[in-house]
Order: sequence, then structure tokens, then C-alpha cells
Amino acid sequence: MITIENLTKYYGKNRAVNNISFTINDNEILGFLGPNGAGKSTTMNMIAGYLPMTAGKVTICGSDISKEPVKAKKNLGYLPEIPPVYPDMRVREYLSFCAGLKRIPAAKKSKEIKRVMEQLRITDVKDKLIKNLSKGYKQRVGFAQALLGNPKFLILDEPTVGLDPNQVAEVRSIIRDLKKEHSVIFSSHILSEVSAVCDRVVIINKGDIKAIDTIENLEKQTGGSLILHIRINGSRTTAANIIEMTKGVDSITKIDVEGDDVYEFTVQLKGDGEEIKNNIMGELLKNNIRISEIYTEKPDLESVFVKLINAKSSKSGIKELFEEIAAENPEESSENEEKEDNE
Amino acid sequence: MFSIYKKELQSFFFTPFAYVVTALFLFMFTFFFNGELGNQDQATFYFSYPNVFYNVIIMFIFLIPILTMRTFADERKFGTEVLLMTSPVNVAQIIIGKYLANITVFLFMLASSLIFPIYTAIKGEVVISQLICAYLGFFLWGAMYIAIGQLVSSFTENSIIAAILGEIVMFVFLFIDDFSMTAFIAQYPVIQAALYAFAAQPRFAYFSQGFIRLSDIVFFLSAIIVCLAWNYISIEKRRWKRG
Repeated sequence: MITIENLTKYYGKNRAVNNISFTINDNEILGFLGPNGAGKSTTMNMIAGYLPMTAGKVTICGSDISKEPVKAKKNLGYLPEIPPVYPDMRVREYLSFCAGLKRIPAAKKSKEIKRVMEQLRITDVKDKLIKNLSKGYKQRVGFAQALLGNPKFLILDEPTVGLDPNQVAEVRSIIRDLKKEHSVIFSSHILSEVSAVCDRVVIINKGDIKAIDTIENLEKQTGGSLILHIRINGSRTTAANIIEMTKGVDSITKIDVEGDDVYEFTVQLKGDGEEIKNNIMGELLKNNIRISEIYTEKPDLESVFVKLINAKSSKSGIKELFEEIAAENPEESSENEEKEDNE
Repeated sequence: MFSIYKKELQSFFFTPFAYVVTALFLFMFTFFFNGELGNQDQATFYFSYPNVFYNVIIMFIFLIPILTMRTFADERKFGTEVLLMTSPVNVAQIIIGKYLANITVFLFMLASSLIFPIYTAIKGEVVISQLICAYLGFFLWGAMYIAIGQLVSSFTENSIIAAILGEIVMFVFLFIDDFSMTAFIAQYPVIQAALYAFAAQPRFAYFSQGFIRLSDIVFFLSAIIVCLAWNYISIEKRRWKRG
């Protein structure tokens, strides 16, 4: 088990990671999810013992990484964001070097290297220079390095970035297979990937943990409320007012400008979808606003993620949303304003 | 430690690197050797290996940084530092492993230069005891420069900058005694004494004359230890400072 307690990291005055705590259980795949720059890599570097922490504690199988680094690191395999490979070495040579670094006894070495090469399907490139390999293969060589010596815990920092879809699927299936013998911490900014592979998710943004839970629980969190999409043709101010006033509407989360006077509203609902939908439709038609499309949808993880990450902006009012749109499409919106005034 | 040593040696000897550096070294050695042989100014014919070594040491300023510039700079550049730091080895082992590998290449260079004394011995006479002392001094000097070069390499991730910085530091070390002897510095005996304490040339002079003095050996060894310890501190410090 890896325990992370009150982990904090400052880069000068910048706080990269703020007082986070969580644990990784045995035989578990833990997803580490957050947008770019959220502090994922920093946290993983600290868990792996590459970066010292400003405050806090990481314990791997009972050994503190800053007090007994050698002992703690024996249970770890780490694949950083950039695979740590030497371009001038051959694949086999490199793995043999890593096996030595990980203190694998000489007698077991070649068997172990053979095993990881087969597991990651790099046996056919074993005599190639690493600099001549493609990005996907380099990534796999780095991955193979992490698996050497069968460490109990694997830390994989964005292992699928830059791979083609086939390779991504392959890497995912490898990660799933690893669960039998290892615990995996695996970071990503792609949500579907995490939900496809992980048992539990830690969502992090700007150094703070936003949520730690299983995928099912996260889905349940917003399971009751629906999301309504309406595409209208007409004045967006009137439409926005009507929608906001309707009972059971939580907030308008997004307004997309689709064309001349055509807008798509994304609305967060609180109550029964059908009834609200009918009420809104009725009101809009009364005000001569045409509706070209209307449907409700269950929120997926994506929206949970976005909601958790941007906890602030989803609560912002209509005015801010309009301002946002004006900033995005300056010409269009000024024209529209004029039209609305004429009306 | 052994695996790092082995890997470093592979990167020197499985590539043309060690051979090219050695060839350059031999080329310079030949150049000064011939220059010394053709030294006709003396009334009596005069030739000594220490004189050749003196000249070759100046070339060290260019040779050793080539050898050491990649030691830590490239690890940082390729991101492989992370691999070393997250493996169950400590920083001291990494530094010593790399240092021993650099020393091994240097020994390879020295061994290849033995063809000159052997040739001289066949055609003429060599004072073996003096030659051994000179080689010992030569080796210690090189070992000190390698420690300096390795230290400088840990300051930057650009190996060219590491090489140039190393050259400057080595240059200072080579000429610090000449500098301390200038009339300007001689006005201040304290400063002169302080600078002279760092001078390696007069210490090498004892070796080349056939003396092995404990104080000289201690000088070179302590310089090596200080550089390697500083190397350790500089790597650890950078880990603490940034990401």
C-alpha cells in the first residue's frame, strides 16, 4: 500500500501541489485525472522519489520515501512522461542496464528482460538503437523498464500520450492485465481512458484534490439531474430569460452561437426532465422563438469532470456567459445586439 | 554502481567516442614528442618525458572536457536522470560509477601513450623510475580535471556549455601559480600564498622530477574529493530547487 499524507510542493512561491492525501491499495488501478498543469506530474515525481516534497509524507510498503529511499524505490516502477531512454543504446542493452540498476540478480536478468519484452511486444526491435524507434516503441521500451523486477507498484505518467489509437488500446489492455499482480497509478487528462481502465479516480486541479471516488459513485453524484440541449432561432436574451425563469432549471451552463440568430443552450436541470422540457417549449413558442432541436441527456463523466474542475464557472450567471460569447465572437455578437435593439 | 559504470563504459567504447578522443590525445602527444626530440637549442641533446607531459597537460584543457561534458548534462537533456533517481541507487553511487568510468577511459588514453616510452626504450634509454613518477603525476592531474569536468557537467543540461565552462575552470587551475607570481599579486603576500596553495603545477613538477611526496598526492586526492562532494551537493540541490 502507498500512503500519501498532506503532500505539498512549492516551486519558489508557486504552489504546485497543495496538501493532498490519498492511498493506493493493493491490486488496484488508480486514475489520476486533471487538466494540463494540474500538478499530476509533480505529484507522481514526488511519489516516485524524484522530487523532494516541501511538506508531507509518502510511504511505500511501510518505508518512507525520503528516509529510506532505496528500500522504498525497490517496490516501484516508474514511467515518467518522457520515457527515460538513452537514444544511443540498443533496446536489450538498455533493459539490461535498467535491470542492473534495479538490482535484479544476474542469474534472473535475461529471463526477466525476455519476459518484459514479450509483455510489451518489443522483442522484434531488441537489437535496434532506441533513437531509431518510433514514439510508440520508445514509450513501450520505457514501460518495459518500469516492469523490470516485477515491482509491486507502478506509476505511469500519461502512458498513452502520443500513441496511435491501436497502441492506446494495447497499452490499456496491458494496464488492465497488470492489475492481477500490481497496483497501478496512472495519470491522464483524457477522461474516457481513465473510466475505461481505473477502479478509482483522483481528480486534481491546480494542486487541489477535487474528488476521490469510484467511477460509479462519480456518475451517481450527478445521476439525478439531467442536461437539456435546446437549439433555437430567435433572440437569445429572451430565450435565456425564459429558460432561467422556468421552474426546475438549475443553470444555463453554455450558449453556443451556431449561426445567424441560431443558438444552442446547454441547461442543467434539477427536476423531472419531461415536464421542464414541455414548459420551456411552450414558453419559447409563445415568444415566437423557433425550436429546431430539443433533447435531454444523462450527464456523463465528462461533465462531472468539467464541473469539478471548473467549479467556479458553472455557477456563473447568464451575464458572464454572454460576456464570454462576446469575447469569443466579437463581430457576430455586436451585430446581433443591434438587431435585438431594432426589435 | 557497477551497472552505471558498465553503461558509461559501453557509451564510450561501443561508440567511436573513446577511440576518437584517444586518437586526438595521441596526435597531440606525438606532436609534442617530436617537438621535444627535435629540440636542438641545447648544447647537449636533451630530452625528457616530463617536458612532453607538461605540454600535453595544456592540451588536457581541451581534451578532458570533451570526455566529461556529457556525464550529467546529457542525463538531464534526455530525461534519463529521472530513471537514475527513481531507481534503488543513491546519488553517491551514481557519481562514483560515472567517475570511475571516466577514469577508465582516461587510463585507456594513458595506456595507449605507453608506445612512446616503449619505442624510446628500444631505440635508446628511459629512466624507468622517473617515468613512473611522471605518469603518476600525470594520472593524478587528469583525475583531478575529470572530477572538475564532471562537476561542471552537473551545472547545466547543455553539454557544450559544460565543456566551455570546464575549460575555463581548468585553465585557471593550470595557470594559477603563474598568476600568483606576477608582480601585481606579489605585492600582497597573503593573497599570493592563498593562490599558490591551489597551484597544481609546482606539485606536478615534483612528480616529474621523480619525487613522490605524500603532500602532493593528498593535494590531488583532496581536490578530487572536494569536486565529487560538490557534484553530489549540486545534484541534490537542483532536485530541491526545481522540478
